[in-house]
Amino acid sequence: MARVEFRNVVKIYEDEKRGRFTAVADSSFVIEDREFVVFVGPSGCGKTTSLRMIAGLERQTSGDILIGDRVVNNLHPKDRDIAMVFQDYALYPHMTVKENLSFGLRNLKRPKDEIERKVAEVANIIGLTGMLDRKPRELSGGQRQRVALGRAIVRDPQVFLFDEPLSNLDAKLRVQMRVELAELHKRLGATIVYVTHDQVEAMTLGERIVVMNEGRIQQIASPTELYNHPQNMFVAGFIGSPPMNFMDARIENGQAHMEGVSFSLGDETARLLKSYEGRNVVLGIRPEHIYGDDFVPALAKSFTVQAQVQVIENLGAENLLYFRVGGRMVTARVKPETEARIGQLKTFVFDASKLHFFDPATEQRIGT
Amino acid sequence: MNVKTKWWIIGPMAAVLMFWVLITVIPLYWMVIGSFQDSSASASFKPQMLPEVWSIAPYERFFMKTKALRWLFNSLFVSAVLTVTNLFFASLAGYAFAKLKFPGRTTIFWVLLSTMMIPAQVTLIPLYVLVINIFDLADTYTAIILPAVVSVGNVFLMKQYMSTLPTSLIHAARIDACSEFGIYWKIILPMAKPGLAVLAIFTFVAHWNDFFWPLLVTRSDEMRTIQVGLASFRFAESTDFGAIMAGATVGALPMFILFFALQRYFLQGITIGAVKG
Repeated sequence: MARVEFRNVVKIYEDEKRGRFTAVADSSFVIEDREFVVFVGPSGCGKTTSLRMIAGLERQTSGDILIGDRVVNNLHPKDRDIAMVFQDYALYPHMTVKENLSFGLRNLKRPKDEIERKVAEVANIIGLTGMLDRKPRELSGGQRQRVALGRAIVRDPQVFLFDEPLSNLDAKLRVQMRVELAELHKRLGATIVYVTHDQVEAMTLGERIVVMNEGRIQQIASPTELYNHPQNMFVAGFIGSPPMNFMDARIENGQAHMEGVSFSLGDETARLLKSYEGRNVVLGIRPEHIYGDDFVPALAKSFTVQAQVQVIENLGAENLLYFRVGGRMVTARVKPETEARIGQLKTFVFDASKLHFFDPATEQRIGT
Repeated sequence: MNVKTKWWIIGPMAAVLMFWVLITVIPLYWMVIGSFQDSSASASFKPQMLPEVWSIAPYERFFMKTKALRWLFNSLFVSAVLTVTNLFFASLAGYAFAKLKFPGRTTIFWVLLSTMMIPAQVTLIPLYVLVINIFDLADTYTAIILPAVVSVGNVFLMKQYMSTLPTSLIHAARIDACSEFGIYWKIILPMAKPGLAVLAIFTFVAHWNDFFWPLLVTRSDEMRTIQVGLASFRFAESTDFGAIMAGATVGALPMFILFFALQRYFLQGITIGAVKG
């Protein structure tokens, strides 16, 4: 197994239709040996391009890519010791499962008995031992997914690359495969680079997550760190469902003033926001840190907002209440027992210790 | 169309189609029937639906009086070679134009396409001069085959077909340590079978039926293809309609066999199951 490193990698496309287009801008990071790293971001953010550059399917415009201790810039995909699982599985339709699994090994001219042994081993891991003679079209979506996975495992590569492997599966199967992938990572102890646009997948699978937007890396951190300390408004809004609420506030004399409500910041936060005295900031709070007034836990610091309930979404285990603060729609995730009717004027309690502050111009986090 | 479609829609449609079938089939039927009766009957103005006396004499005359077997072999050989070369080169070029990135790809492709706009008659004389006068290939297989080794139309057809194949399979194969030619040979060609079958049928039929070019570049009776041979036989034996019909039947037969052997490829998409739709 091996680490993967990007050093100032840039990818620019020269396209007849779109012209010059920067897919990945000055990207640097290290993925440690045996680490499970997830690239996440909206479509067109450069995550798949990054993955394809690791695979060698795309050549970076500048910068270096290292796998293990080797600079692999000029290496063909087959010489990079990687395996990839594609979004559409990319199984060879005219070959049986067995032929699909063994194709890479046959190309590498491995001895026949070794191929047989490895294919049998992998078929056992992916649970398709009885289906080796079937063609891909005779398999279900989940089984095809397993074959694609098996084809990667059988190569015993240094690095596994996953390109949105679960996005074609139905919701139930996706959850199941997610658990299996996590188990597989433990079992293989492999370095895995995984691309997805699904933040739930990213949060549940990744040991670290690389959040990308418009070709730039926004933040690299563990799921908990991303959730609790998003570096900018993009990360704050992208990670978490429903996303973090943003509200506009003005800082004056150690107090934050929003439309219809003002509250004291407390010493520590006031120090943090000293340079913003007399200026606007964006205040962020996650939906689960807003409570209906009938179920408020003991909070060290809090403030209340009165607002009319606009929409109620009943999710069973919890309810989502939507209301307006200033011009912005705010979501509260509350206990299902919370009493609320549409149109009702309700008091919401905000946990002030869970607030995030962002600069409205740079959208960067203020403080740590 | 669902099962409940009304008879007044089906009826006229069926009538039109039946009429069409008759127009298409009657000449063929006549040809076959004419080849089994004596010449005076097959030349008659009042054609019979079935011969009064069945006879294979026309076939005997056709094969005895001409070098028909040699002509058939020539046609078969030329068409088969051209089918193989067209399949190979057109699919290779089509794959490159559809899936590989190289400088000038679009320009080269458009230049190739633009040559399709030039009528064949325009290039016929320069081609003739080249093959006969300069290369001195008159009356050889090479002369018949060389100019048609691959056609731009076929390259275009294959490029269009290859564009529909999923690129991720090529990437997967590349990661699976497959060589570039290996990708073409082991991945692309098997998946392109339906397209190749169509191309094979059209190419084979076109060259089997080709008349003018083989007529121009062949001189001896031995080098004629069946179509050229039939024409010369017609001029020489203008009264023996039975034998001419027999020759025409013999000349058409391989086309039917070819079509029925490969028609399932028209109906079957082989990429089903490769990529989730």
